[in-house]
Amino acid sequence: MAGYLLRRFWHMVLTLFAMATLMFFLFRLLPGDPTATVISPSLYPKAQEAMRQQFGLDRPLFEQYLLYLRNLLVLDFGFSFQTNRPVFEMIQGRLLNTLLLILPSMFAAYLLGAVIGAIAAWKRGSAGEVGLVFTATALQSAPLFWLGMLAILLFSIKLDLFPIGHIVTPGLFPEQDWRMYLSADFLHHLALPFLVNTLYQLCFPLLLMRSTMLSTIGEDYIELARMKGLSERRVLFGHAARNALLPLATTLPMILGWAVAGSVVIETVFSWPGLGLLMVEAISRADYPVAQAAFLLIAVLTVFGTFIADLLCGLLDPRIVYA
Amino acid sequence: MLPSDTHPLLSITGLAVSYGTPRGPASAIADLSLEIGKGENLGLIGESGCGKSTLLKAVMGVMPDNARIAAGRIAFQGRDLVAADAGFRRSVRWAGISMVTQSALNALNPVLRVGDQIAEAIRAHRDVSRAEAWRRTEALLTMVGVAPERARDYPHQFSGGMRQRAIIAMALALDPPLVLADEPTTALDVVVQDQIFQSLRALQQRLGFSLLLVTHDLALVIENCERVAVMYAGMIVETGPTRDVIRRPTHPYTLGLKNALPRLGSRDEPIAIPGGPPDLTDPPPGCRFAARCPFALPLCRTEPPALTTVAPGRQARCHRAAEIDALAPLAALPQTWDALRDAPR
Ligand SMILES: Nc1ncnc2c1ncn2[C@@H]1O[C@H](COP(=O)(O)OP(=O)(O)OP(=O)(O)O)[C@@H](O)[C@H]1O
Ligand code: SF4
Ligand SMILES: [Mg+2]
Repeated sequence: MAGYLLRRFWHMVLTLFAMATLMFFLFRLLPGDPTATVISPSLYPKAQEAMRQQFGLDRPLFEQYLLYLRNLLVLDFGFSFQTNRPVFEMIQGRLLNTLLLILPSMFAAYLLGAVIGAIAAWKRGSAGEVGLVFTATALQSAPLFWLGMLAILLFSIKLDLFPIGHIVTPGLFPEQDWRMYLSADFLHHLALPFLVNTLYQLCFPLLLMRSTMLSTIGEDYIELARMKGLSERRVLFGHAARNALLPLATTLPMILGWAVAGSVVIETVFSWPGLGLLMVEAISRADYPVAQAAFLLIAVLTVFGTFIADLLCGLLDPRIVYA
Repeated sequence: MLPSDTHPLLSITGLAVSYGTPRGPASAIADLSLEIGKGENLGLIGESGCGKSTLLKAVMGVMPDNARIAAGRIAFQGRDLVAADAGFRRSVRWAGISMVTQSALNALNPVLRVGDQIAEAIRAHRDVSRAEAWRRTEALLTMVGVAPERARDYPHQFSGGMRQRAIIAMALALDPPLVLADEPTTALDVVVQDQIFQSLRALQQRLGFSLLLVTHDLALVIENCERVAVMYAGMIVETGPTRDVIRRPTHPYTLGLKNALPRLGSRDEPIAIPGGPPDLTDPPPGCRFAARCPFALPLCRTEPPALTTVAPGRQARCHRAAEIDALAPLAALPQTWDALRDAPR
């Protein structure tokens, strides 16, 4: 087990390294002056020259690459073109905002999706189940930004139940410290993007759980569980659902990818100051250092999530041996 | 509960089961009657698809959604299960009638410990603590020849034979008066199969349960069952004491089955019965075996024969059962069946 963990961890590091490398060359392939990805063109020529030397941009590409890796290791992402603040500083708070929205939302989506999917399989053939499957399929194929806008239109503008985006009422917390995250105002702002994202992300685990449950119901061990005189509830939740969780866990990495993509959309629609929104803003303003760092962090999140999902699969399925 | 000794343990009368299929209902079991006494072993044989598993599932009350009991009674210790409410039905499952399933390979849930799956059956019917159920589970495993510490293992850590033993332990968990076994050893090699039947017989001596053994294997029935029922296309065509039925069948289908067996020390090639079972969505109006029977009369194609007593303790479902002594020698000849093979259907 320890050996497996180590090996799996090593794989993760390699993946991240490959991604960082790709990112380096990608950003240097952008149109225009390659140094423009690091040094703001709006600076005085003299200052530009000084920075060029500071970042080693006058050196050969390979040396630049090594320098870039070294800077990554010490979490030095350079300075924002826009604000001239260190990128790392800007990203920290944004990362927290994203995690606070996406993690609980994905957790709720998975939990609810699995439970509702199991119940749907139990009530197979009923009108409620048919309606549920239809709704989930429709929701899943609807564009997320459209759902978000619809929710804002209905709940924020028409019914005036929730604020229209942002993380807190502007001006309420000039300090932006921990007190902000504990306020009712924050929760009030969190509610709508949380609900929309959860509802949207819930469809996949729900439909998957239902269909694997349905195929599990025909298995011999389910029949035997029934013959043992177990209650129908026990058969479904103790036997069928327990097995149907496996595909749910194996698809978790894929879902995490979607969740990340979804977070970019949700944050944009709800003006939620997270990593995704930061990335979108940075790209539209050609703030390359920030965009690059945001990209990288999102990649790290995805890879790390996949790692966790893999471990989860091993916990759920005794047949997986960490050899 | 009613006094059980005045009733046979299990008594099935006039049972009919059909499956809904795209081509209409398929009559998988028709007019089936059967009785098993206390401590008795009954063998049930018949070719693949004749409805053996369907019968057992109907008795256990776990049928697929498209199955329907169209008629008949299944009385356990005198109480009808078909008409019984769900609560009583569930209480009879496992505590009254348990089952060793056809494929022990898939009958254990792969993600749960073997011991938990046995203990769960105990706790579903008896008000005992977890620890107590676990102790009983370990005792059961020991009884069937599996080391008790293996209770913590998952099914994939068991060999095929051990899984089958675990299922038998599970079937005996509540000391039921009746155990159904659906081809309990088909997936195992002969040596393991022998060992399992030996311990099954030893357990039966100790516990005194009745056994309904379903199999394609005539040899197993001869070794283990005093009575046998032969099934064809959803109907019982012949029943009686095993020795008599095997030595002197009274139904052409049983004669054919016997021919199909390779005989030790005989140079005769086994003769297969030509053709296949009828389409159950449109069963023939007369005898269900008529299309494959070398002795069929015009009557056989229009009138279904009834199951009638042909000798003390023996029944057969054939219009010509009375003439069987004259027909049996013919049935042993390959050309009798060959004629059928060549004839246009
Ligand atoms: N769920 C089902 N839906 C429709 N038809 C079915 C279903 N299950 C079984 N049948 C049909 O019912 C008939 C009896 O099947 P059953 O499984 O009882 O046979 P069996 O005697 O146990 O065969 P085997 O020896 O192969 O196990 C077959 O013709 C089969 O095709
Ligand atoms: S009733 Fe007729 S067709 Fe059926 S088995 Fe007897 S002889 Fe053959
Ligand atoms: Mg079968």
